Amino acid sequence: MVDLATAWELFRDAIVCAVLAGVVLGGLGVHVVVRRMVFASAALAEAAALGVMIGFFVEIYSGLAVPPSLTAIGVALLAAVGLAWRPEAVSREVILAAVWIGSAALALVVGASITQEAHDVAEILLGSAVLVRPEDLWRVAGSSVFVAGAAAVLHRGLVFAGFDEETARVHGLPVRALEVALWALITIQVATCTRALGALPVFAFSVLPGAAALLWVGRLQAAFPVAAALGAVSGAGGFLLAFVFDLPVGASQAGVATALFACGMLWSRARSSALLR
Amino acid sequence: MKPALIQCRGLLVGYEGRAVLPPIDVDVRAGSFVVVAGRNGSGKSTWFRTALGLLPPVGGSLVRADSVRPTYMPQRMRFDDLTPVTVAQVVGMGTLRGWSFLRPGGGAQAAAAMERLGITSLAGRTFRSLSEGQKQKVLLARIVASGANIALLDEPTAAMDHAAERETLEVLASLHRELGLAVVVVSHHLAAAVPFATDAIFFDPDAGQVVAGSAREVFRHPAFLARHGELHLG
Repeated sequence: MVDLATAWELFRDAIVCAVLAGVVLGGLGVHVVVRRMVFASAALAEAAALGVMIGFFVEIYSGLAVPPSLTAIGVALLAAVGLAWRPEAVSREVILAAVWIGSAALALVVGASITQEAHDVAEILLGSAVLVRPEDLWRVAGSSVFVAGAAAVLHRGLVFAGFDEETARVHGLPVRALEVALWALITIQVATCTRALGALPVFAFSVLPGAAALLWVGRLQAAFPVAAALGAVSGAGGFLLAFVFDLPVGASQAGVATALFACGMLWSRARSSALLR
Repeated sequence: MKPALIQCRGLLVGYEGRAVLPPIDVDVRAGSFVVVAGRNGSGKSTWFRTALGLLPPVGGSLVRADSVRPTYMPQRMRFDDLTPVTVAQVVGMGTLRGWSFLRPGGGAQAAAAMERLGITSLAGRTFRSLSEGQKQKVLLARIVASGANIALLDEPTAAMDHAAERETLEVLASLHRELGLAVVVVSHHLAAAVPFATDAIFFDPDAGQVVAGSAREVFRHPAFLARHGELHLG
């Protein structure tokens, strides 16, 4: 068996990538959870996975080397536009379902045509990636810095528009633009990280650390750093567990995020019971 | 006569291009205290939301003065309890206008507003953990922090007992008096709100009319008297 020091040399990039994804998606996840759009990131991750496959497909059948990260962002942005600009008469849930089902169906169709890349396809959908390419690490790092910075700049507007949209509109805040910006930031981070880590852990990072943080601390402002920390723990801890117990990495990372959320539920329940006594 | 902050001339309000009320002619003037009355479903909230710019007019003219700086207190059920914002954050939201959220600031205004309403000790509490009366004080502090010259309030005392309702309206009246704030308040509890009113708007969908004018004129209008009887106007 490989010792931990050697393993660190081998897997350092993958762990750093998972931590960056966990930190930024964890923080964004707080917005995702309080705006009740948790399945949006699932739909976007699925659309991003489809985009990666389209990148492979185009390269195989046309010889044109399009970076799969770019096609992932392109397809996920198209999905995000559909989510953000839906007609009033259609609920967000219906659009989410349409994006998820359409992306999953097309991913199966495209996946069947690129059997040479079957291993990569499995990595993208389930997150079984043990190693991360250096270029993917740099893309995730760049995306993380940009998305975290933009979210920090927009923070007060996003919170106001999320909590009391009508008053925000009366005060002249660009509520629609803020919503589109939030979708765009989530899309960029989800699409970039899906290529590197897989759809399942990316979906987990974008929902569960945020939800757990809100349960742990019960304050919006404190929830952001706590969610980022829980996201980092999910990313690195999941990788470590996968290494020690020889588990699929993505499943292990999603499992750690789920366990942290479950602990948050128990903590919140225990605190409520103590207050009632 | 003070200038009109909001001027409606033959304004038609409704949904999907269909008017739900006859044309409305109303001026909301600087420094006025307007009580909006009418039973549930009378269209008062539709007018209210149109005046705020939350709904597009179906027809007619709606002019908001360049100087208008509005703020709003929605009905309590419009707040999402899933978002655990603190009292200080809610009051601080009042200071945000347009793209001002991009730069820091507003903390001093929010702190002064909380002090004025006597809720400084609640600053760190979450909004969702407060009683209805405390929540209304927080939202009133947000109005103060906003520096608005007109505040539109949609049934601010709906969930309150009489004492809390009276206290809220008195705070509102003091803001109107001391800050020169124009107040437009939708209320079902007319007996409590009427003593503060300088102007009124009465929506009567059965008679197909909207009566607007000074409080004295509206509350003595035959259409109003037929529905509500005589009110003590103070």
